Amino acid sequence: MGGRKLLMTFPVTATSHTLADYRARGGYETLAKVLREKKPEDVTKEVAASGLQGRGGAAFPVGRKWQVVHLDDGQPHYLCANADEGEPGTFKDRWILENAPHLLLESMLISSYALQVRNAFVYIRGEFDLPYRRLAAAVEEAYEAGYFGTDILGSPFACDIVVYRGAGSYVCGEASALITSIEGKRGYPRNRPPRLTVKGLYQKPTVINNVESLSNVTGIVRDGAEAFKKVGTPKAPGTRLFSVSGHINKPGVYEVEGGYPFADFLRNELGGMLGGRKLKAVIPGGISAKVLTAAEIEPLPLDQPVFEAAGSTLGSGGMIVIAEGTCMVRLLQVMLRFYHHESCGQCTPCREGMGWLHRVIDRIVAGEGRLEDIETMHHVSRWNDGTTICGMGDAAGYATVAILEKFRDEFEYWIANKRSKCNGVLEVGNA
Amino acid sequence: MPEIFIDGQAIQAEPDQTVLQAALANGIFIPYFCWHPHLSVHGNCRICVVEVEAKGGSWLDISCNMPVTEGMHVLTDSEEVRAQRKAILQFVTLNHPVDCGICDKAGECTLQDYHFAYNGSPSISRDAKVHATKFFDLSKRIVLDNERCILCSRCVRFTREISKSHALGIENRADHSLVRPAEDRRFDDDPYSDNVIDICPVGALLSKQFLYKARVWYLEPTPSVCPGCERGCAVQIWHRRPEWRLNALDPRQNAEIARVTPLENPAVNGPWICNKGRDLARIFERARAEQPMLKGKPVELAAAIDAARRLIDEARHAVALVSNWGSNEELAAFKQALAGRFAASFVKRDRQPEPGERIEDDFLIRADKNPNTAGARALFDDAPAALPDGADLVLVWGEGCDFGRLPRGAKTVFLGSYLAPENGHADVFIPVSIQTERRGSYTNFAGTVSPFEPCFAKKPSVADAETLFAALAQRERATA
Amino acid sequence: MRHLIPEFEKMKARYPAGFESSLVLPCLRRIQDDRGFVADSDIDGLVAYLGVPRVQVEEVLSFYTQLRRKPIGRWHVQTCRNVSCSMRGAERLIDHLRKKLGVAPGETTADGRFTLSTVECLGSCGTAPVVMLNDAYHENMSAEKVDALLGGLE
Repeated sequence: MGGRKLLMTFPVTATSHTLADYRARGGYETLAKVLREKKPEDVTKEVAASGLQGRGGAAFPVGRKWQVVHLDDGQPHYLCANADEGEPGTFKDRWILENAPHLLLESMLISSYALQVRNAFVYIRGEFDLPYRRLAAAVEEAYEAGYFGTDILGSPFACDIVVYRGAGSYVCGEASALITSIEGKRGYPRNRPPRLTVKGLYQKPTVINNVESLSNVTGIVRDGAEAFKKVGTPKAPGTRLFSVSGHINKPGVYEVEGGYPFADFLRNELGGMLGGRKLKAVIPGGISAKVLTAAEIEPLPLDQPVFEAAGSTLGSGGMIVIAEGTCMVRLLQVMLRFYHHESCGQCTPCREGMGWLHRVIDRIVAGEGRLEDIETMHHVSRWNDGTTICGMGDAAGYATVAILEKFRDEFEYWIANKRSKCNGVLEVGNA
Repeated sequence: MPEIFIDGQAIQAEPDQTVLQAALANGIFIPYFCWHPHLSVHGNCRICVVEVEAKGGSWLDISCNMPVTEGMHVLTDSEEVRAQRKAILQFVTLNHPVDCGICDKAGECTLQDYHFAYNGSPSISRDAKVHATKFFDLSKRIVLDNERCILCSRCVRFTREISKSHALGIENRADHSLVRPAEDRRFDDDPYSDNVIDICPVGALLSKQFLYKARVWYLEPTPSVCPGCERGCAVQIWHRRPEWRLNALDPRQNAEIARVTPLENPAVNGPWICNKGRDLARIFERARAEQPMLKGKPVELAAAIDAARRLIDEARHAVALVSNWGSNEELAAFKQALAGRFAASFVKRDRQPEPGERIEDDFLIRADKNPNTAGARALFDDAPAALPDGADLVLVWGEGCDFGRLPRGAKTVFLGSYLAPENGHADVFIPVSIQTERRGSYTNFAGTVSPFEPCFAKKPSVADAETLFAALAQRERATA
Repeated sequence: MRHLIPEFEKMKARYPAGFESSLVLPCLRRIQDDRGFVADSDIDGLVAYLGVPRVQVEEVLSFYTQLRRKPIGRWHVQTCRNVSCSMRGAERLIDHLRKKLGVAPGETTADGRFTLSTVECLGSCGTAPVVMLNDAYHENMSAEKVDALLGGLE
């Protein structure tokens, strides 16, 4: 079901997150082997060869990011796991943090060795309580067992780790904002250049990878890049964790091998649509991914290049399934309220644009819309395309335009009739 | 030196330049709000967008954060660039009140200029503007209009990178963001705070002193030198243009300092000055002494000069205390014309730090609160703690002399500019002009000579020191 | 906050040297856990302890939505209203809580027991709707479940 598994390979029990259980599953053996037998650059080569792509949203090759760091540049390097899972619809890293924290830690140790990192960080969103407690406990267990600190497993390798808690900011999930946040400041994204792998945390080379991306490292190093590439599709090897929510019978986190058909996924894993309703649309990769209509997504395999070709993305793996009867105007209103709330306010297009979009859609919903408002929303979205410091303005714009274009009739109906074509419904009952 | 192409024009850029810097250095203008040549790059306003052309296609990005690379092709005025600039102006004016008619910045506002140059069309928004604080008390000296603020963060960066007071920050997020002072009100104590008024690209930060005082296009600047300390920062003294003289109101306003702003001088002060330099009116617009006197009895200027000349002629042991507020030219004139008539001539320190004034720091402010100590000391020795006994005449030029400590029985000739009790006690008092009424130069502590120009006319009853010294040196009757 | 300094010192040990500024956020979180909010005197203490500019702490406090400078009710009821939760009944749940507690989001009940808030996406979309009661998530909530949850509190 859903193909082969690389991460969700063990039954979740009351103790499966502990060090003892992780060790019983072969945990930290790969670290020991790496420290014994491999040179740092060998690890990076292996990860690069695996073709592993980032799982946070942008699908950037992990190895390519690592290769920017020069091991002999005489500077400290930092590694940071991005556990600021805040993209609405996304909760898959939470599964790793709660159930496999040691897999993340072992992967981070191996990655730190590869990148010659002395200090590693996990930036975890501030609201996460259980994931934080599980991870923090795992860190203490790992320190106790000698996996962190100095002379790790009798080698000269030394590494410390800090679990850094956010405090309520979506933008901090963006890599450069995350760094600014770890510097104890407002989570403002930074302009590139310089890349963070050149000047990141406190202006030192810093690698930031998503929790799921990093968690794949242990397996890749243990089994080899070739084994990893045999899973999934050639252009997007490996598996993906999907967190699925919305109008389906079995929401949750699923590991799916690349290429698995969406239709099978919906029917088999997700238990079909709530109340047997028809599928209306899917937001496939967090709300910043462009919405796909039922007709668009039904024939697609879950493969990043395919979704890109279809004009969207698997993004963060946060899939929101929307049933027939849902009001897309209200859905966009909720999304724009969110973007307005979360804009950091630093750069002009997003700071002004998100509020603008939010006010326009509120006005449409209040029955005071005009047809030209749809054009205004198009303009404001387009003016954010590629013009902001981070990707948030772009993403909000793409998401807005996709909904406006694909469900334009609902907007026109509301403007003309001062009410929803779908009764303003977001919640679709079991009936 | 990388060669780059801006709008098709080949340009030799410096390797560490950004595209914006290379363009500006070569006379190609790219608009900018948040970028400032003396502050770090924040790249938040996004109006300096340019189009980069490459083989794989072209893209837009901000030029202030774009390093030059050999052979790159950049367009600063393509259709895409113009459209995006207009878009940024739509955003910037979205919640901006556009109240130029009552805004002190009008006439020198970057937003006004850019809107005129690059957009010109009204907002496409039909939603109510988001309101924010008006007349927010940012400091004792500065008022903030958050509705006009475009959050470029120049002022915030200034307090972090230049004045280092860390006195400003940004509160909240999204379009609720507000520039705010640190709650301990330390911005009140930042002696450089008013520079944020100059660097604000819009009318968000305004001087309380200058608030609603004048439309800037009624004013003109005269280049001058701040006399507040021996740094000698280059400044511009703003006053009404002759063609815009006020008829109906108090005519004194026509000869008042409206405001003082820095004049960029890389060798002395860069583009900055301290607040004391903004407050030159407090020095120059003190009550002026305009009446020549003999022991407190008003006389014509010529009569006072005659009397002074006679005293100098008759003295057997005359001593002079020259002013370190005198210009190099005045000091040289004294030396040339009069020094030979005095047994000794010393430099006096006219002014001391005022209570509460910042004494010195590692930026601009120097401990010697006089503008031309270096120039004066190049010609004369420092005054000793007590003047030599036996002096029968003391010529005192400028402020800062304790008349009670002059040798007993000595006659006094006092050249002063402001009303003071001493004026009436001097045997001869001759009013002299001040810096804003004459041309001259000062030499600062580092030896840099900076010129200043007159902006107001002196009264006929007030002497010009250079002419006066020549007149005093003549054996025959003459007028200054 | 002075009594927390030994804890801060322990925390600091795992940071590289020169990372004092990084401690602003964790220290503020700890202070808020301790007092329920961050008081002005805490800011002064933290500024003195870390040697960071006061304005940095003030800026941070207004940027992160979890941090607050005023006390709130004993129980903080935060209900997610983002897309996935709204699709599973969050809006009805918020209406229910408004009526039940008699306050609007952002307000505290007169007896100081409850503060009601709405929040944007807690990462609990698969178990929507979610209510965060102080630090803990309560998932798959409904009007009945929330009644039972709040009913059992002091």
